[in-house]
Amino acid sequence: MTIFLSGGAKNGKSSLAQDLAVRLAGDGALYYVATMIPVDEEDRQRIRRHVADRAGMGFETIECGRHIFDVLDSADRNGTFLLDSVTALLMNEMFAGSHIDKQAGERCASDLAAFIRSVNNAVIVSDAIYSDAERYDEITELYRTSLAMADRACAAECDTVIEMVAGQPIIYKGGLPE
Amino acid sequence: MVLIIGGAFQGKLNWARETYALADSDVFSCSGLEIDFSRRCVYHLEEFTLACVDADADPVACFEAHAEQWADSVLICDDVSCGVVPMSARLRLWRNETGRLCQYLAAHADRVSRIFCGLEQRLK
Repeated sequence: MTIFLSGGAKNGKSSLAQDLAVRLAGDGALYYVATMIPVDEEDRQRIRRHVADRAGMGFETIECGRHIFDVLDSADRNGTFLLDSVTALLMNEMFAGSHIDKQAGERCASDLAAFIRSVNNAVIVSDAIYSDAERYDEITELYRTSLAMADRACAAECDTVIEMVAGQPIIYKGGLPE
Repeated sequence: MVLIIGGAFQGKLNWARETYALADSDVFSCSGLEIDFSRRCVYHLEEFTLACVDADADPVACFEAHAEQWADSVLICDDVSCGVVPMSARLRLWRNETGRLCQYLAAHADRVSRIFCGLEQRLK
């Protein structure tokens, strides 16, 4: 089963995603695909918190900030992949080079769709950043449209689509694993 | 009337096109105070409410005045209610007026849908 999970900040996405991934994996391989490339102490602290959160749950961590399909070079496709998050992946793809990559959204969308099709079980986490009253600059708006493109591609490809609100899952498509 | 809300870029118009068999020519995209109610679908209502703020006009009063013209319409508005309170008074008022209009329209709608990543959550 493949699951796409998004929602606002601090609504319980990561914690539900971990639970779902553990349930999907059963006795099989369980991978945590870490997409954040830390740039400062705040990032490193956040990563340490997430590592501590999932300690003892049986995840093997694969660090992959870009080119998500490379994850499958070394991992077992029959396993279960928790990818957290599309937001960080797109950030890396879009802003890693010397110039802003305007094609990053389309590339992330097609890479993620192919990734989801290639694996047995996946939980893909993103962030809903689309409902504030702000007129953004061109670059921020490009990032928002690109993330939405990647999100919609994941949602179309996954069996189950969930929005987390205050720790409560709203299910738009499919169902939760047993 | 049908009201469709949701965050920006969530596929609201595509969903409306498929659900209500809308052609491009059925869709009016707001960019100011004027709304062509002869089209079946009015899109980007949040641009209309921003124009109302700039013109000191009341978006709800405007819709009340044309009530019979949108009785069978598909109305689409971005949800702009979930961020930090904007620093700018203009955008604060915009957020308020958009919320006020959506509540008014939702009360009069036969169906209210919230679109998330191209998928519907039915609110009414």
